[in-house]
Amino acid sequence: MLWRCATSFLLVSAALLAWGRTRPHYGGTLRVEIAEDPWQRPGGIARRLVLDGLTRADASGATQPALAVDWNSENQNHRWQFKLRPGVHFQDGSPLTPIAVVASLNTACPSNCPWSAIHAVGGSVIFTGDEPMPNLPGLLAGDEYLIALTITSEGKPPEGVIGTGPFQVSGFLNGVLTLAANENCWAGRPFAGTIEIRAHRAVRDQWLDWSVGRTDIVEVPPEQMRQAQQQRLNIVSSPPVTLLAVQIAESGSLESPLLRQSMALGIDRSALSNVIFQKQGEVTASLLPANLTGYSFLFPVERDLAKAQQLRGGITPPLLTLAAPGDATMQLAAQRIALNLREGGFNVQVTGDATQHVDLTLREFRLEGNQPQAALESIAGDAGLNPPPPGQGDMALFQSESEILGRYTLIPLLYLPRAFAVSGRVRDLRLNPDGSPDLADASLLDTARGDSSRGDAP
Amino acid sequence: MSVRQKLLLLFSLTVAGAVAAVAWTVLVRVRQIFDQRDQRETALFVSQFQREFQHRSAEVAAAVDRLSAQERVRSMAFELVQSGDPAPYLTEAQTLATDAQLDFLEIVGPDGNVVSSAQWPARFAYPEPAAAAAATQTPFLKREELPDGSDALGLFAVRAVGGAEPAVHLIGGKRLDESFLADLPVAPGMQVYLYGEAGAPASASPAPPASVAMREFDARRLFGANGAVADAARYQPLIDAARKTGKDANAIVYLTRRREDSVNATAIPLKDQAGGVLAVLAVALARAEMVEAQQRIRAIAYGVAAAGILLAIAFSLWTAARVSRPIEQLARAAEEVAAGNWETRVPERGRDEVSVLARSFNRMVAELAGQRERLMQSERVAAWRELARRLAHELKNPLFPLQLTVENLTRARALPANEFDEVFRESTQTLAMEIANLKTIIGRFSDFSKMPKPQLERIDAKDTLARVRALYEVAGAASPGAAKITFGSEIADEPMPMDADPELLHRALSNLVLNAMDAMPEGGTVTLAARAIDGKIEMRVADTGTGLTPEECERLFTPYYTTRQHGTGLGLAIVQSVVADHAGTIAVESRPGGGTVFVIRLPGAG
Repeated sequence: MLWRCATSFLLVSAALLAWGRTRPHYGGTLRVEIAEDPWQRPGGIARRLVLDGLTRADASGATQPALAVDWNSENQNHRWQFKLRPGVHFQDGSPLTPIAVVASLNTACPSNCPWSAIHAVGGSVIFTGDEPMPNLPGLLAGDEYLIALTITSEGKPPEGVIGTGPFQVSGFLNGVLTLAANENCWAGRPFAGTIEIRAHRAVRDQWLDWSVGRTDIVEVPPEQMRQAQQQRLNIVSSPPVTLLAVQIAESGSLESPLLRQSMALGIDRSALSNVIFQKQGEVTASLLPANLTGYSFLFPVERDLAKAQQLRGGITPPLLTLAAPGDATMQLAAQRIALNLREGGFNVQVTGDATQHVDLTLREFRLEGNQPQAALESIAGDAGLNPPPPGQGDMALFQSESEILGRYTLIPLLYLPRAFAVSGRVRDLRLNPDGSPDLADASLLDTARGDSSRGDAP
Repeated sequence: MSVRQKLLLLFSLTVAGAVAAVAWTVLVRVRQIFDQRDQRETALFVSQFQREFQHRSAEVAAAVDRLSAQERVRSMAFELVQSGDPAPYLTEAQTLATDAQLDFLEIVGPDGNVVSSAQWPARFAYPEPAAAAAATQTPFLKREELPDGSDALGLFAVRAVGGAEPAVHLIGGKRLDESFLADLPVAPGMQVYLYGEAGAPASASPAPPASVAMREFDARRLFGANGAVADAARYQPLIDAARKTGKDANAIVYLTRRREDSVNATAIPLKDQAGGVLAVLAVALARAEMVEAQQRIRAIAYGVAAAGILLAIAFSLWTAARVSRPIEQLARAAEEVAAGNWETRVPERGRDEVSVLARSFNRMVAELAGQRERLMQSERVAAWRELARRLAHELKNPLFPLQLTVENLTRARALPANEFDEVFRESTQTLAMEIANLKTIIGRFSDFSKMPKPQLERIDAKDTLARVRALYEVAGAASPGAAKITFGSEIADEPMPMDADPELLHRALSNLVLNAMDAMPEGGTVTLAARAIDGKIEMRVADTGTGLTPEECERLFTPYYTTRQHGTGLGLAIVQSVVADHAGTIAVESRPGGGTVFVIRLPGAG
């Protein structure tokens, strides 16, 4: 009996111990290093930690309630009403009101918004548009429509970014942005007590810091994922979320669509994917990835140099400039594209300065959700193109995308994933649909290391 | 030009020519020496460059050899051959090139395509024909295209890695650029430039065709150790010659108009494996030192020449004086003799030809003086004889009637008184008339001996001739029974001023007119003419008489010579005397039966 009791006690203790070891811990400092600005739009890593949207996209890409708990449309999607979540407060303690939401959205989108007017009515926010807005809930989940406090209770602009998110800004020193856990977050307190984000850090330096244990999460560019995997690093990667495309100026020496089509046919996508991006990319001739639409294969990705030269018709435009903002990999990709285009009869010079007039630009477009129509509108908007009127169904989406691609001003090349190397002390790190790390749900195994809010752990 | 001047000029030219010939010879020799020195230095530099080139080639080859021997590279080559996947090695060439300190490095896979390129990372998967050069093991020149559209000249070596076939190749190289030129050993005053041939227009093809026609010279492609060359265009003919022929070319390049700013340049073509000219190395050696030396030598030569010429002039002066002085003395003595100074003699010094000439001259003058004295004495005697004959003749004519009259008077004393009175009266009349005739004859001689000195005044020859014509035209017309003589006139209209004594000139012209009238006893025409010619006034008195023989013409102006029965022979002598006193000349033109023309030329006043 005693032996049974002892055995039972040991088994229960072991189970409790195992459960205690595996359950998320509160507190600790999560250290992140990134190459970009944490507040940049879109994709700034700090934005979704501090700010929330009226809606959000879940891991599958579906739109879920966030600051709005419910919404409905009227008048064939010309009018939308979003009912705000009650009891939500900004991080300075002021309540989230429809007026604050309207002010925030007006600040975020002063012009060319998907809607034509926005009003606060009771506990709701009303969107009205001249055109139907079938994808408005999905659009509002986007990074650019996150809600931030624009005026404090004293009627002054806030001194920093104040939102309703799980973290609030607690300091910025020596290039390190410090975010502290928002105890009163409507979605619950995050696990990590503090997040330190070291921005504008080169990938090589990030890896160096990661190798010596000075950071927990670093970026892994697609072209280095293979190397990272060979080094058996803990890699968290996203589905293809970044579209690499060449945007061609519609004016000047490339005014002719045939010339632009010739250029599109002259680019060797497979070489970009297989060599420069080390087979981590997904070649594409469509704006939306195959996992969103399923029809991506209808757009041929193969290079056809003979047809490209035939379309050029012997016309040799003057020296063209190809801007490639970004890191060395982007420069290399641009050099490769220039080389391909030279074979096609275009004399292209690569420049890193995109501020001056250029004929071609190698750009990256981020997918922020899994809503195809919203993604297409987002890409078209980012490219400065007028998106076709939205329709219903895959055929309408295909036609819209075909219409955009038929202009040959945006040539999709690759879809690239986002990836991060994660240290062993980080648990449950998942990536958002836009490929950014969901730091709010991540926890730390060793909360004592570098923890400035150790006492917050339960 | 005098003998002395001729001698002076001859000596000076001789000396100056000799000095100039020496200076020219020295300058040519100096130029040859400097040219030879330039050629030696250029040849030395070319050999140094070739050694340096070989040294660099060996460095590049050794670097590529070391790379190909690395385990890392061999492993990569093995993986490439096994897997055929070049993707993992995209940046490998950059890393290896940095380690090996190479400017260019390409890894070429077994399929001949670029796996990784340090100089153009985006050029992976494109073919690289240079990998075929691995069999030669010899470094070579190659023009490498760069991503920015430019190209660079490099010294390359190719090595196969692993040795297995198909093999992976490493193509490594170093750039031939400013630093390469800066490392080359150069002599003072020497500049080394490199002209890189332009590549084909932008294309993905890594190797331009060898048969590309020679492009136009581009001054921007010529650079030195310090970058672009300011006077690049001056080197164009030289570099083009090397590019065109593929052989060394040499020329003097003038950078400015000044000779000091010129260089002795040699262009050396650098060729690729196919023999095409990829670049031209230009070695320029400044000629300032040589030009300055030439200028110094030329200045010295000019100074020596000037001094030589001055010395030559001085020597020539002395020599010419020594040689020409006796000749000049002879000339002066000859002039003295010609002027009538028969006592002139030249000194007789030495025994040379000139002294012989001087002695001969003195002897000749002495003999001439003696002959002249004898001639004068003969002429004087002849003149006295002629005078005596003329006086006897002139006096004999009146004396004979005087003698007859006196004899007649003597005989008449025996006659009755009345007859004697008659004879006496006639005789005294005859005596008185003949005595008057004697007085007239004596007066004429007296007048000739007392010719007055001319009182010059400005007159017009036309007026004088007009007065003479008027006088004798009236006189001729008033002589009844005289032969019919007409007067003609051919006097120019323009004024003919002259400085002359009007009375003496009138007298002379009157004598000529009277002679003309006497020469035409049967009548005729006397023509008076005058004209201005060559600053002189020419006056002519012509008749249509019987004319004169040449012998008569020769003696016509001899005093007391006359062709008339009762003439004194002093008329034309007086005319000649008047003309001579007016610094003029008189001549006669005549032939028998053709009339006679007396021509007087007197100085005009204009």
